[in-house]
Amino acid sequence: MQIDVERHDTYSEVSSQGRLNMVAAPKLKEAISSEIGTGAKRIVVNLGKTEFMDSSGLGALISCLKLARQAGGDLRIANVPQQVLMVLQLTSMDRVLTPYPDAASAFDRA
Amino acid sequence: METLSARTALVVEDDDDIRDLLVRTLERDGFAVSGAPSGVAAIELARTIHPELVTLDVNLPGMSGLEVCRRLREHSSAYVIMISARSAEDDRLAGLDAGADDYLSKPFSPRELRARVAALFRRPRSPIQEKSELERAMEVQRGLLPETPPSLPGYEVAACFRPSRLVGGDLYDWNVESGQLHLTLADAMGKGMGAAMIAAAVRSAFRSVTAMPGLTMAFNHAAQSLTSSLESSGSYATVCTIRMNPASGRFSYVDAGHGIAAVVPADAGAPRRLEPCGPPVGLWGENQWESQREDLLPGESLVLVSDGVLDAVGDLDGTMAAMAEIVRAGGSAQEAADALAALTEGDPGHDDVTAVVVRRLPAS
Repeated sequence: MQIDVERHDTYSEVSSQGRLNMVAAPKLKEAISSEIGTGAKRIVVNLGKTEFMDSSGLGALISCLKLARQAGGDLRIANVPQQVLMVLQLTSMDRVLTPYPDAASAFDRA
Repeated sequence: METLSARTALVVEDDDDIRDLLVRTLERDGFAVSGAPSGVAAIELARTIHPELVTLDVNLPGMSGLEVCRRLREHSSAYVIMISARSAEDDRLAGLDAGADDYLSKPFSPRELRARVAALFRRPRSPIQEKSELERAMEVQRGLLPETPPSLPGYEVAACFRPSRLVGGDLYDWNVESGQLHLTLADAMGKGMGAAMIAAAVRSAFRSVTAMPGLTMAFNHAAQSLTSSLESSGSYATVCTIRMNPASGRFSYVDAGHGIAAVVPADAGAPRRLEPCGPPVGLWGENQWESQREDLLPGESLVLVSDGVLDAVGDLDGTMAAMAEIVRAGGSAQEAADALAALTEGDPGHDDVTAVVVRRLPAS
Protein backbone atom coordinates (compact mmCIF):
# COMPACT_ATOMS: atom_id res chain seq x y z
CA MET A 1 0.00 0.00 0.00
CA GLN A 2 1.47 3.33 -1.04
CA ILE A 3 0.06 6.85 -1.19
CA ASP A 4 1.69 9.53 -3.31
CA VAL A 5 0.79 13.18 -3.51
CA GLU A 6 1.66 15.18 -6.61
CA ARG A 7 0.86 18.87 -6.91
CA HIS A 8 -0.26 20.18 -10.27
CA ASP A 9 -1.07 23.78 -11.22
CA THR A 10 -4.77 23.58 -10.49
CA TYR A 11 -5.18 20.46 -8.34
CA SER A 12 -3.45 17.99 -6.07
CA GLU A 13 -3.32 14.40 -7.26
CA VAL A 14 -3.34 11.73 -4.58
CA SER A 15 -2.54 8.25 -5.90
CA SER A 16 -3.38 5.18 -3.89
CA GLN A 17 -1.54 2.06 -4.89
CA GLY A 18 -2.43 -1.42 -3.64
CA ARG A 19 -5.32 -2.46 -1.43
CA LEU A 20 -7.43 0.35 -0.02
CA ASN A 21 -8.67 -1.45 3.09
CA MET A 22 -8.93 -1.05 6.86
CA VAL A 23 -5.14 -0.70 7.15
CA ALA A 24 -4.64 1.74 4.26
CA ALA A 25 -7.78 3.85 4.69
CA PRO A 26 -6.45 5.95 7.63
CA LYS A 27 -3.24 6.66 5.65
CA LEU A 28 -5.21 7.93 2.66
CA LYS A 29 -7.32 10.08 4.95
CA GLU A 30 -4.24 11.48 6.63
CA ALA A 31 -2.54 12.30 3.30
CA ILE A 32 -5.61 14.07 1.93
CA SER A 33 -6.48 15.97 5.09
CA SER A 34 -2.93 17.26 5.40
CA GLU A 35 -3.08 18.32 1.76
CA ILE A 36 -6.33 20.17 2.43
CA GLY A 37 -4.71 21.58 5.58
CA THR A 38 -1.99 23.21 3.48
CA GLY A 39 -4.66 25.01 1.46
CA ALA A 40 -5.32 22.64 -1.44
CA LYS A 41 -8.93 22.97 -2.62
CA ARG A 42 -9.08 20.57 -5.52
CA ILE A 43 -8.16 16.99 -4.81
CA VAL A 44 -8.13 14.24 -7.39
CA VAL A 45 -7.76 10.71 -6.06
CA ASN A 46 -6.16 8.60 -8.75
CA LEU A 47 -7.34 5.03 -8.21
CA GLY A 48 -5.63 3.57 -11.31
CA LYS A 49 -3.34 1.40 -9.20
CA THR A 50 -5.86 0.57 -6.48
CA GLU A 51 -6.21 -3.19 -6.60
CA PHE A 52 -9.13 -3.48 -4.24
CA MET A 53 -11.28 -1.17 -2.15
CA ASP A 54 -13.41 -2.34 0.78
CA SER A 55 -15.98 -0.61 2.99
CA SER A 56 -13.26 1.13 5.02
CA GLY A 57 -11.72 2.48 1.81
CA LEU A 58 -15.08 3.86 0.72
CA GLY A 59 -15.56 5.40 4.17
CA ALA A 60 -12.19 7.16 3.85
CA LEU A 61 -13.00 8.53 0.39
CA ILE A 62 -16.34 9.91 1.52
CA SER A 63 -14.97 11.51 4.66
CA CYS A 64 -12.24 13.16 2.55
CA LEU A 65 -14.91 14.40 0.15
CA LYS A 66 -16.71 16.00 3.11
CA LEU A 67 -13.46 17.58 4.31
CA ALA A 68 -12.72 19.02 0.88
CA ARG A 69 -16.20 20.48 0.56
CA GLN A 70 -16.09 21.92 4.08
CA ALA A 71 -12.86 23.67 3.05
CA GLY A 72 -14.69 25.16 0.06
CA GLY A 73 -13.14 22.77 -2.42
CA ASP A 74 -14.00 19.40 -3.91
CA LEU A 75 -12.66 15.88 -4.25
CA ARG A 76 -12.99 13.82 -7.42
CA ILE A 77 -11.88 10.37 -8.41
CA ALA A 78 -10.14 9.31 -11.60
CA ASN A 79 -8.97 6.11 -13.32
CA VAL A 80 -11.50 4.09 -11.38
CA PRO A 81 -11.03 0.32 -11.72
CA GLN A 82 -13.95 -2.05 -12.14
CA GLN A 83 -14.02 -3.36 -8.57
CA VAL A 84 -14.04 0.15 -7.08
CA LEU A 85 -16.77 1.17 -9.51
CA MET A 86 -18.82 -1.81 -8.36
CA VAL A 87 -18.52 -0.77 -4.70
CA LEU A 88 -19.60 2.77 -5.63
CA GLN A 89 -22.58 1.51 -7.61
CA LEU A 90 -23.77 -0.98 -4.98
CA THR A 91 -23.75 1.72 -2.32
CA SER A 92 -25.31 4.32 -4.66
CA MET A 93 -22.29 6.51 -3.96
CA ASP A 94 -21.48 6.81 -7.67
CA ARG A 95 -24.04 9.63 -7.63
CA VAL A 96 -21.94 11.51 -5.10
CA LEU A 97 -18.46 10.57 -6.31
CA THR A 98 -18.54 10.69 -10.09
CA PRO A 99 -15.68 8.80 -11.72
CA TYR A 100 -13.52 10.71 -14.23
CA PRO A 101 -11.41 8.99 -16.88
CA ASP A 102 -8.14 10.59 -15.77
CA ALA A 103 -6.77 13.01 -13.21
CA ALA A 104 -6.23 15.87 -15.70
CA SER A 105 -9.88 15.94 -16.79
CA ALA A 106 -11.42 15.66 -13.32
CA PHE A 107 -11.62 19.42 -12.83
CA ASP A 108 -12.05 20.40 -16.50
CA ARG A 109 -15.65 21.32 -15.84
CA ALA A 110 -15.04 22.86 -12.46
CA MET B 1 2.30 -23.06 40.70
CA GLU B 2 3.85 -23.82 37.38
CA THR B 3 2.57 -26.73 35.42
CA LEU B 4 5.02 -29.38 34.34
CA SER B 5 4.58 -28.81 30.66
CA ALA B 6 6.99 -26.16 29.40
CA ARG B 7 5.63 -22.71 28.83
CA THR B 8 6.03 -21.63 25.24
CA ALA B 9 7.60 -18.39 24.12
CA LEU B 10 8.06 -16.76 20.74
CA VAL B 11 10.98 -14.44 20.02
CA VAL B 12 10.40 -12.09 17.08
CA GLU B 13 13.65 -10.41 16.08
CA ASP B 14 15.36 -9.97 12.72
CA ASP B 15 18.90 -9.67 14.11
CA ASP B 16 20.25 -13.24 14.39
CA ASP B 17 22.59 -12.50 17.30
CA ILE B 18 19.99 -10.75 19.42
CA ARG B 19 17.43 -13.44 18.61
CA ASP B 20 19.85 -16.14 19.76
CA LEU B 21 20.51 -14.23 22.95
CA LEU B 22 16.80 -13.87 23.67
CA VAL B 23 16.10 -17.52 22.88
CA ARG B 24 18.88 -18.72 25.16
CA THR B 25 17.87 -16.39 27.97
CA LEU B 26 14.28 -17.58 27.94
CA GLU B 27 15.25 -21.23 27.55
CA ARG B 28 17.30 -20.88 30.72
CA ASP B 29 14.06 -19.88 32.44
CA GLY B 30 12.33 -23.04 31.31
CA PHE B 31 10.50 -21.79 28.24
CA ALA B 32 10.19 -23.81 25.05
CA VAL B 33 11.25 -21.05 22.67
CA SER B 34 10.69 -20.56 18.95
CA GLY B 35 12.28 -17.74 16.99
CA ALA B 36 10.85 -15.79 14.05
CA PRO B 37 12.85 -13.32 11.93
CA SER B 38 9.83 -11.41 10.57
CA GLY B 39 6.32 -10.36 11.50
CA VAL B 40 4.66 -12.57 8.92
CA ALA B 41 6.56 -15.63 10.15
CA ALA B 42 5.70 -14.69 13.74
CA ILE B 43 1.97 -14.49 13.16
CA GLU B 44 1.95 -17.81 11.37
CA LEU B 45 4.00 -19.47 14.11
CA ALA B 46 1.85 -17.98 16.87
CA ARG B 47 -1.20 -19.66 15.39
CA THR B 48 0.36 -23.09 15.78
CA ILE B 49 2.42 -22.86 18.97
CA HIS B 50 0.05 -20.60 20.99
CA PRO B 51 2.83 -18.89 22.95
CA GLU B 52 2.28 -17.62 26.47
CA LEU B 53 5.05 -15.04 26.03
CA VAL B 54 6.11 -13.05 22.97
CA THR B 55 9.11 -10.75 22.73
CA LEU B 56 8.69 -8.44 19.80
CA ASP B 57 11.24 -6.19 18.11
CA VAL B 58 9.57 -2.93 17.11
CA ASN B 59 11.74 -2.30 14.05
CA LEU B 60 11.15 -5.38 11.96
CA PRO B 61 11.61 -5.40 8.20
CA GLY B 62 8.24 -5.42 6.43
CA MET B 63 5.37 -5.56 8.88
CA SER B 64 6.23 -3.40 11.91
CA GLY B 65 6.32 -4.76 15.45
CA LEU B 66 3.29 -2.63 16.33
CA GLU B 67 1.25 -4.18 13.53
CA VAL B 68 2.40 -7.66 14.53
CA CYS B 69 1.28 -6.90 18.08
CA ARG B 70 -2.15 -5.76 16.92
CA ARG B 71 -2.61 -8.87 14.81
CA LEU B 72 -1.46 -11.16 17.60
CA ARG B 73 -4.00 -9.56 19.87
CA GLU B 74 -6.76 -10.63 17.53
CA HIS B 75 -6.37 -14.21 18.66
CA SER B 76 -3.79 -14.36 21.44
CA SER B 77 -3.71 -13.30 25.07
CA ALA B 78 0.04 -13.98 25.39
CA TYR B 79 2.18 -11.62 27.44
CA VAL B 80 3.88 -9.35 24.92
CA ILE B 81 7.12 -7.51 25.65
CA MET B 82 8.09 -4.98 22.98
CA ILE B 83 11.82 -4.44 22.50
CA SER B 84 13.15 -1.39 20.72
CA ALA B 85 16.25 0.71 20.29
CA ARG B 86 13.98 3.69 20.67
CA SER B 87 12.91 4.60 24.14
CA ALA B 88 10.88 7.72 23.46
CA GLU B 89 7.67 7.98 25.44
CA ASP B 90 5.60 8.02 22.24
CA ASP B 91 7.05 4.68 21.17
CA ARG B 92 6.32 3.13 24.54
CA LEU B 93 2.78 4.42 24.45
CA ALA B 94 2.26 3.18 20.90
CA GLY B 95 3.47 -0.26 21.97
CA LEU B 96 1.20 -0.41 24.98
CA ASP B 97 -1.68 0.88 22.89
CA ALA B 98 -1.13 -1.91 20.36
CA GLY B 99 -1.62 -4.43 23.16
CA ALA B 100 1.88 -4.92 24.61
CA ASP B 101 2.25 -5.65 28.32
CA ASP B 102 5.72 -4.25 28.80
CA TYR B 103 8.41 -2.36 26.91
CA LEU B 104 12.16 -2.87 27.01
CA SER B 105 14.78 -0.59 25.43
CA LYS B 106 17.90 -1.83 23.70
CA PRO B 107 20.53 -2.39 24.92
CA PHE B 108 19.01 -4.49 27.67
CA SER B 109 20.58 -7.02 29.98
CA PRO B 110 19.36 -10.60 29.98
CA ARG B 111 18.82 -10.20 33.71
CA GLU B 112 16.43 -7.34 33.20
CA LEU B 113 14.47 -9.32 30.61
CA ARG B 114 14.19 -12.30 32.97
CA ALA B 115 13.08 -10.04 35.81
CA ARG B 116 10.37 -8.45 33.64
CA VAL B 117 9.14 -11.84 32.43
CA ALA B 118 9.03 -13.15 35.99
CA ALA B 119 7.08 -10.05 37.06
CA LEU B 120 4.52 -10.56 34.27
CA PHE B 121 3.99 -14.20 35.12
CA ARG B 122 3.69 -13.44 38.84
CA ARG B 123 0.43 -11.73 38.10
CA PRO B 124 -1.57 -14.21 36.07
CA ARG B 125 -4.21 -12.96 33.70
CA SER B 126 -7.49 -12.61 35.53
CA PRO B 127 -10.11 -15.20 34.55
CA ILE B 128 -11.90 -12.59 32.47
CA GLN B 129 -8.74 -11.78 30.55
CA GLU B 130 -7.89 -15.44 30.19
CA LYS B 131 -11.05 -15.89 28.28
CA SER B 132 -9.97 -12.97 26.15
CA GLU B 133 -12.26 -10.03 25.84
CA LEU B 134 -12.50 -10.85 22.18
CA GLU B 135 -13.83 -14.33 22.91
CA ARG B 136 -16.36 -12.79 25.26
CA ALA B 137 -17.33 -10.33 22.53
CA MET B 138 -17.80 -13.26 20.16
CA GLU B 139 -20.23 -14.89 22.60
CA VAL B 140 -22.14 -11.64 22.94
CA GLN B 141 -22.33 -11.20 19.18
CA ARG B 142 -23.54 -14.77 18.66
CA GLY B 143 -26.09 -14.14 21.37
CA LEU B 144 -27.50 -11.19 19.46
CA LEU B 145 -28.24 -13.34 16.43
CA PRO B 146 -31.66 -15.00 16.34
CA GLU B 147 -31.43 -18.44 17.88
CA THR B 148 -33.98 -20.26 15.80
CA PRO B 149 -35.69 -19.61 12.48
CA PRO B 150 -39.04 -17.84 12.76
CA SER B 151 -41.92 -20.28 12.71
CA LEU B 152 -43.73 -19.43 9.52
CA PRO B 153 -45.92 -22.15 7.97
CA GLY B 154 -45.15 -22.49 4.28
CA TYR B 155 -41.68 -20.93 4.61
CA GLU B 156 -38.16 -22.02 5.34
CA VAL B 157 -35.86 -19.34 6.75
CA ALA B 158 -32.13 -19.88 7.37
CA ALA B 159 -28.90 -17.93 7.73
CA CYS B 160 -25.17 -18.52 7.91
CA PHE B 161 -22.73 -16.03 9.49
CA ARG B 162 -18.95 -16.31 9.26
CA PRO B 163 -16.96 -13.37 10.61
CA SER B 164 -13.46 -12.92 9.18
CA ARG B 165 -12.15 -12.59 12.73
CA LEU B 166 -13.71 -13.74 15.99
CA VAL B 167 -16.29 -10.99 15.69
CA GLY B 168 -17.43 -8.98 12.69
CA GLY B 169 -19.49 -6.14 11.31
CA ASP B 170 -22.18 -8.26 9.67
CA LEU B 171 -25.46 -8.93 11.37
CA TYR B 172 -28.76 -10.48 10.50
CA ASP B 173 -31.93 -10.37 12.50
CA TRP B 174 -35.47 -11.60 12.10
CA ASN B 175 -38.65 -11.76 14.07
CA VAL B 176 -42.35 -12.17 13.46
CA GLU B 177 -44.52 -9.36 14.74
CA SER B 178 -48.23 -8.82 14.08
CA GLY B 179 -48.10 -11.67 11.60
CA GLN B 180 -45.39 -10.04 9.51
CA LEU B 181 -41.87 -11.32 8.96
CA HIS B 182 -39.25 -8.66 9.72
CA LEU B 183 -35.81 -9.41 8.34
CA THR B 184 -32.65 -7.28 8.38
CA LEU B 185 -29.16 -7.84 7.01
CA ALA B 186 -26.62 -5.13 7.76
CA ASP B 187 -22.90 -4.72 7.30
CA ALA B 188 -20.99 -2.17 9.38
CA MET B 189 -17.82 -0.68 7.92
CA GLY B 190 -14.61 -2.50 8.69
CA LYS B 191 -13.93 -5.71 10.57
CA GLY B 192 -13.35 -6.82 14.14
CA MET B 193 -14.50 -5.42 17.44
CA GLY B 194 -15.24 -1.84 16.32
CA ALA B 195 -17.44 -3.05 13.48
CA ALA B 196 -19.19 -5.52 15.82
CA MET B 197 -20.11 -2.73 18.24
CA ILE B 198 -21.59 -0.67 15.42
CA ALA B 199 -23.47 -3.74 14.18
CA ALA B 200 -25.02 -4.22 17.62
CA ALA B 201 -26.22 -0.61 17.62
CA VAL B 202 -27.68 -1.02 14.12
CA ARG B 203 -29.52 -4.17 15.19
CA SER B 204 -31.22 -2.50 18.13
CA ALA B 205 -32.14 0.60 16.15
CA PHE B 206 -33.96 -1.51 13.57
CA ARG B 207 -35.42 -3.86 16.19
CA SER B 208 -36.95 -0.89 17.97
CA VAL B 209 -39.02 0.18 14.95
CA THR B 210 -40.61 -3.16 14.03
CA ALA B 211 -43.92 -2.10 15.55
CA MET B 212 -43.97 1.18 13.63
CA PRO B 213 -46.44 1.08 10.74
CA GLY B 214 -45.04 1.58 7.26
CA LEU B 215 -41.51 0.51 6.38
CA THR B 216 -40.49 3.87 4.89
CA MET B 217 -41.28 5.66 8.12
CA ALA B 218 -39.79 2.93 10.30
CA PHE B 219 -36.58 2.78 8.28
CA ASN B 220 -36.02 6.52 8.26
CA HIS B 221 -36.72 6.69 11.97
CA ALA B 222 -34.14 3.99 12.74
CA ALA B 223 -31.60 5.49 10.32
CA GLN B 224 -32.01 8.95 11.80
CA SER B 225 -31.44 7.64 15.31
CA LEU B 226 -28.15 6.10 14.14
CA THR B 227 -26.80 8.82 11.87
CA SER B 228 -25.09 11.13 14.34
CA SER B 229 -23.37 8.37 16.29
CA LEU B 230 -22.25 6.68 13.07
CA GLU B 231 -20.86 9.95 11.75
CA SER B 232 -19.04 10.79 14.95
CA SER B 233 -17.45 7.36 15.05
CA GLY B 234 -16.43 7.67 11.41
CA SER B 235 -18.43 4.62 10.45
CA TYR B 236 -21.48 3.66 8.44
CA ALA B 237 -23.55 0.59 7.70
CA THR B 238 -25.23 -0.86 4.65
CA VAL B 239 -28.69 -2.15 5.56
CA CYS B 240 -31.27 -4.21 3.74
CA THR B 241 -34.50 -4.65 5.64
CA ILE B 242 -37.68 -6.43 4.67
CA ARG B 243 -41.27 -6.74 5.88
CA MET B 244 -43.22 -9.60 4.43
CA ASN B 245 -46.82 -10.65 4.61
CA PRO B 246 -46.43 -14.46 4.68
CA ALA B 247 -49.95 -15.13 3.42
CA SER B 248 -49.43 -13.31 0.12
CA GLY B 249 -45.63 -13.37 -0.16
CA ARG B 250 -45.77 -9.63 -0.84
CA PHE B 251 -43.02 -7.70 0.85
CA SER B 252 -41.75 -4.16 1.14
CA TYR B 253 -38.04 -3.50 1.48
CA VAL B 254 -35.44 -0.78 1.83
CA ASP B 255 -31.99 -1.48 0.44
CA ALA B 256 -29.63 1.20 1.78
CA GLY B 257 -26.35 0.70 -0.03
CA HIS B 258 -26.39 -3.05 0.42
CA GLY B 259 -27.14 -4.02 -3.13
CA ILE B 260 -26.83 -7.80 -3.06
CA ALA B 261 -30.30 -9.21 -2.58
CA ALA B 262 -32.58 -10.92 -5.07
CA VAL B 263 -35.62 -13.10 -5.55
CA VAL B 264 -34.59 -16.33 -7.24
CA PRO B 265 -37.35 -18.00 -9.26
CA ALA B 266 -37.86 -21.72 -8.71
CA ASP B 267 -36.74 -23.00 -12.07
CA ALA B 268 -35.28 -20.97 -14.89
CA GLY B 269 -35.41 -17.21 -15.10
CA ALA B 270 -32.97 -14.59 -13.97
CA PRO B 271 -32.96 -13.50 -10.31
CA ARG B 272 -34.91 -10.27 -9.70
CA ARG B 273 -32.49 -8.00 -7.88
CA LEU B 274 -33.90 -5.75 -5.17
CA GLU B 275 -33.60 -2.10 -6.26
CA PRO B 276 -31.11 0.13 -4.46
CA CYS B 277 -33.02 2.69 -2.38
CA GLY B 278 -30.16 5.04 -1.50
CA PRO B 279 -26.78 5.26 0.23
CA PRO B 280 -25.69 3.37 3.34
CA VAL B 281 -26.84 4.72 6.72
CA GLY B 282 -24.45 7.29 8.21
CA LEU B 283 -22.27 7.70 5.12
CA TRP B 284 -23.82 10.63 3.33
CA GLY B 285 -25.67 13.07 5.52
CA GLU B 286 -29.36 13.08 6.20
CA ASN B 287 -31.09 10.98 3.66
CA GLN B 288 -34.62 9.83 2.98
CA TRP B 289 -35.10 6.24 1.92
CA GLU B 290 -38.25 5.15 0.11
CA SER B 291 -39.41 1.55 0.45
CA GLN B 292 -40.07 -0.61 -2.63
CA ARG B 293 -42.33 -3.61 -3.20
CA GLU B 294 -41.70 -7.09 -4.53
CA ASP B 295 -43.41 -10.47 -4.40
CA LEU B 296 -42.13 -13.86 -3.34
CA LEU B 297 -44.16 -16.45 -5.23
CA PRO B 298 -44.55 -20.08 -4.15
CA GLY B 299 -41.32 -21.95 -4.91
CA GLU B 300 -39.25 -18.75 -5.03
CA SER B 301 -36.42 -17.83 -2.66
CA LEU B 302 -35.38 -14.45 -1.35
CA VAL B 303 -31.60 -14.43 -0.97
CA LEU B 304 -29.47 -11.81 0.76
CA VAL B 305 -25.70 -12.02 1.04
CA SER B 306 -23.11 -9.62 2.41
CA ASP B 307 -20.30 -8.26 0.26
CA GLY B 308 -17.84 -10.91 1.46
CA VAL B 309 -19.53 -13.19 -1.08
CA LEU B 310 -19.32 -10.55 -3.78
CA ASP B 311 -15.58 -10.05 -3.14
CA ALA B 312 -14.99 -13.79 -3.40
CA VAL B 313 -16.96 -14.19 -6.62
CA GLY B 314 -15.65 -10.97 -8.18
CA ASP B 315 -18.68 -9.27 -9.73
CA LEU B 316 -22.40 -8.76 -9.28
CA ASP B 317 -23.57 -10.83 -12.25
CA GLY B 318 -21.45 -13.75 -11.13
CA THR B 319 -22.78 -13.42 -7.59
CA MET B 320 -26.40 -13.40 -8.80
CA ALA B 321 -25.69 -16.47 -10.93
CA ALA B 322 -24.06 -18.26 -7.98
CA MET B 323 -27.04 -17.37 -5.76
CA ALA B 324 -29.45 -18.84 -8.29
CA GLU B 325 -27.40 -21.98 -8.83
CA ILE B 326 -26.99 -22.71 -5.12
CA VAL B 327 -30.62 -22.03 -4.21
CA ARG B 328 -31.85 -24.27 -7.04
CA ALA B 329 -29.47 -27.11 -6.12
CA GLY B 330 -32.28 -28.78 -4.23
CA GLY B 331 -31.05 -28.66 -0.63
CA SER B 332 -32.73 -27.05 2.35
CA ALA B 333 -32.64 -23.29 2.94
CA GLN B 334 -29.96 -23.89 5.57
CA GLU B 335 -27.82 -25.87 3.14
CA ALA B 336 -28.18 -23.07 0.60
CA ALA B 337 -27.16 -20.41 3.15
CA ASP B 338 -24.14 -22.49 4.22
CA ALA B 339 -23.12 -23.05 0.61
CA LEU B 340 -23.39 -19.33 -0.16
CA ALA B 341 -21.18 -18.44 2.80
CA ALA B 342 -18.73 -21.17 1.77
CA LEU B 343 -18.10 -19.35 -1.51
CA THR B 344 -15.52 -17.28 0.38
CA GLU B 345 -13.48 -20.33 1.36
CA GLY B 346 -10.89 -19.84 -1.36
CA ASP B 347 -10.43 -16.18 -0.38
CA PRO B 348 -8.05 -16.14 2.60
CA GLY B 349 -8.34 -12.40 3.31
CA HIS B 350 -12.10 -12.54 3.08
CA ASP B 351 -14.45 -10.06 4.70
CA ASP B 352 -17.19 -11.01 7.11
CA VAL B 353 -19.79 -13.03 5.27
CA THR B 354 -23.47 -13.61 5.89
CA ALA B 355 -26.11 -15.30 3.79
CA VAL B 356 -29.84 -15.35 4.49
CA VAL B 357 -32.34 -17.45 2.55
CA VAL B 358 -36.13 -17.17 2.79
CA ARG B 359 -37.76 -19.90 0.74
CA ARG B 360 -41.49 -19.94 0.08
CA LEU B 361 -42.45 -23.55 -0.27
CA PRO B 362 -44.24 -24.55 -3.49
CA ALA B 363 -48.02 -24.58 -3.22
CA SER B 364 -49.12 -28.14 -2.49
